[in-house]
Amino acid sequence: MSSFSTKVSTAIKTLIVVVLSASALLLLAFGPRAGEELPKDCVIVDYWEKWAGTEEAGIRQIVDDFNQTIGREKRIYVRCLSTSGVIEKTLVATAAGAPPDVAGLYNQNIPQFAAMDALEPLDEMATAHGITADAYKKVFWDECHYDGRLYGLVSTAYDLGLYYNKDILRQRALPLRARGLDPGRAPRTIAELDAYAQAIDQVNASGGIDVAGYIPLEPGWYQNYTCIWFGGSWWDRKNKKFTFTDPGVVRAYSWIQSYSKRFGSQSETAFRSGLGTFDSPQNAFLAGKVAMEQQGTFFANFIEKQKPSMMGKWAAAPFPSFDPNLKDVTYCNCDVLVIPRGAKHKAEAFEFIAFVNRQDVMEKLANSHCKISPLAKVSEQFLDHHRNPYIRTFDSLAASPNAHPTEPIPILPEVNDEMNNFVQRLVMLQVTPEQGLQEMQDRLQQKYDDFMEEQRKRRNVRR
Amino acid sequence: MTKFRHEAWALVRGLAFLSPWLTGFLVFTVVPVCLSLYYSFCDYSLLQPPLFKGLANYRMLWHDPVFRKVLGNTVVYGLLALPLGMLAALGVAMLLNSKIRGVSIYRTIVFLPSLVPAVASAMLWLWLFNSKLGLINTTLNALGVANPPGWLSDVRWAMPALVLMSFWGIGNSVVIYLAGLQDVPRELYEAAEIDGASSLRQVWHVTLPSISPVIFFNLIMGIIGTLQVFATPFIMTGGGPARSTYFFTMYLYDNAFTYLKMGYASAIAWIQLLMVLALTALAAWSSKRWVHYQGR
Repeated sequence: MSSFSTKVSTAIKTLIVVVLSASALLLLAFGPRAGEELPKDCVIVDYWEKWAGTEEAGIRQIVDDFNQTIGREKRIYVRCLSTSGVIEKTLVATAAGAPPDVAGLYNQNIPQFAAMDALEPLDEMATAHGITADAYKKVFWDECHYDGRLYGLVSTAYDLGLYYNKDILRQRALPLRARGLDPGRAPRTIAELDAYAQAIDQVNASGGIDVAGYIPLEPGWYQNYTCIWFGGSWWDRKNKKFTFTDPGVVRAYSWIQSYSKRFGSQSETAFRSGLGTFDSPQNAFLAGKVAMEQQGTFFANFIEKQKPSMMGKWAAAPFPSFDPNLKDVTYCNCDVLVIPRGAKHKAEAFEFIAFVNRQDVMEKLANSHCKISPLAKVSEQFLDHHRNPYIRTFDSLAASPNAHPTEPIPILPEVNDEMNNFVQRLVMLQVTPEQGLQEMQDRLQQKYDDFMEEQRKRRNVRR
Repeated sequence: MTKFRHEAWALVRGLAFLSPWLTGFLVFTVVPVCLSLYYSFCDYSLLQPPLFKGLANYRMLWHDPVFRKVLGNTVVYGLLALPLGMLAALGVAMLLNSKIRGVSIYRTIVFLPSLVPAVASAMLWLWLFNSKLGLINTTLNALGVANPPGWLSDVRWAMPALVLMSFWGIGNSVVIYLAGLQDVPRELYEAAEIDGASSLRQVWHVTLPSISPVIFFNLIMGIIGTLQVFATPFIMTGGGPARSTYFFTMYLYDNAFTYLKMGYASAIAWIQLLMVLALTALAAWSSKRWVHYQGR
């Protein structure tokens, strides 16, 4: 009996070893291979990009186009690597002296990286390729600069408008008309926006919000720039000083807080925390929980993907301003292609960047990301076949003199974090706009001055 | 002489065998730790060479309101999560130590959440805590609670929510407690029973002293773990609302990789290390009074 069980045990062990060995051999023989075979007679340009999913597919299409055309002609091959945490990884790789040749960062990274001498200036290469300011919408050209030098070129770009749910406006036509408002169009001033919102709001018996006409913090991604629609700015570019106590800025944050006061801070917070995530059918706008929302050009892509039944039931317009005379105000943002300091193939890397900034290529990429073109010249074909039916609105907004770029501040991540914290306190009614803004003014100006002083010391040490 | 040469040769051979680990330890632990100490006295962004500035980083920390905030949050989290977590783990371990049918299945169930990656757990709990659609508030609503908390969005409830979630990962501690409980000599309980000790007294006078080294171990690991809490709040709250769940390690990370202030982040790291050392030393000192080792 004992001998039998020993034999069975040995047989099982042998079987396990055989199965595992066979699996390993099969995996070796037929398992995954390196995805890309690199051409031997080409300069390999390493390109790190943050996008994944459909956006990555759009970028890869452009990379393939380059490799098959200009790349083949000039013996350059771009190897694209989609990577999470691209900012941190580019930072560490640059510090280690082994950066990628091209990195796809955000425009707000340019001042921070450029101030620390971590990016290659592109002015000369751009001039050599005939890339000049007049080819771009001014706001995007500005976003690629720091301290007068060009440090990147745009890959994809967007600006903000007001998305509104036409169905909800139609359903709330009576209360809207009762206030003298037209349910067939978007509000044109902040006062009108407030009136539309109040006519649409549906609050239940226990004080909870069922549907909100508008909530400044939904999604709240761009609240740091709300002041531009109030004629304010928290950064004085000329004197390089924060101006958080500017009347326009105070007005903007008082307006944000007015919604928390009207709904009640608890109700507003409870409502927002019960909403679904952005890229899901539970998105507040898609679920019909919020009737009007400030969003970027790309939002049409998410509506199409997550709730196709909503197509044709929404519209977009310029986001209204406080002052009726202040028209076509928008905030513009873009992704940029940069060459980190120490990159091995700068000239070849710029060939790729210049290719992306060609009008036909840029429009193809912009359409795949459902964004606008940062270029001044836009083809009718692009506008006619774009996936966002309101692309003309967004395109003309970005070209407007009231299009506002990201502020070129090297300590911008700290500024953003401070402002986000301030807004959270503001909507919880923990602080008044004046108090919070004064606190930020003092703290951030000190941090900025300290940063600039350290950079000055470094320059002196180098001399 | 021969003996000396023999021992020297043995030492060389020993070091040669150790060298892969030793090299890794020196290159990837000792050197970075020493460098971080130096950087804590510098202005260093990683992208530019370090610029020595003496104690300036430590002085700035002293006056930094955000640092005070994260310090306070971390201490509060530690004071809540550590004792409650230890109590919960010990209680569950005691239950799992009883002779009931299917105990191994229960043990597996308790341990399973520890195997779930932190990101997956965080995503799961994000849904559980959702104020409208979440299972917790749906249950509270069904039980008649009219306005259940907005767990992660309410400044008063975000910290308790994270503490509650920390119980999800007690499986590791439970297994260690369980091993300790199974090591308690049976005869001690028999003796206590003969002496007329109730179950509660048996726990107090037999179980707890017997497993005190295990409790001590879990305490030390818990101190280190709670002072370094990062992934869960980083994913679930990002430190909000209004920095109410912004912890030490998150501020360190932000300074290092978002603000590119490696010198300042290094100073925070050294303060954190000193705090861990001080609390561990305090626990070790106090252990003389309450930790009992068998055979001593």
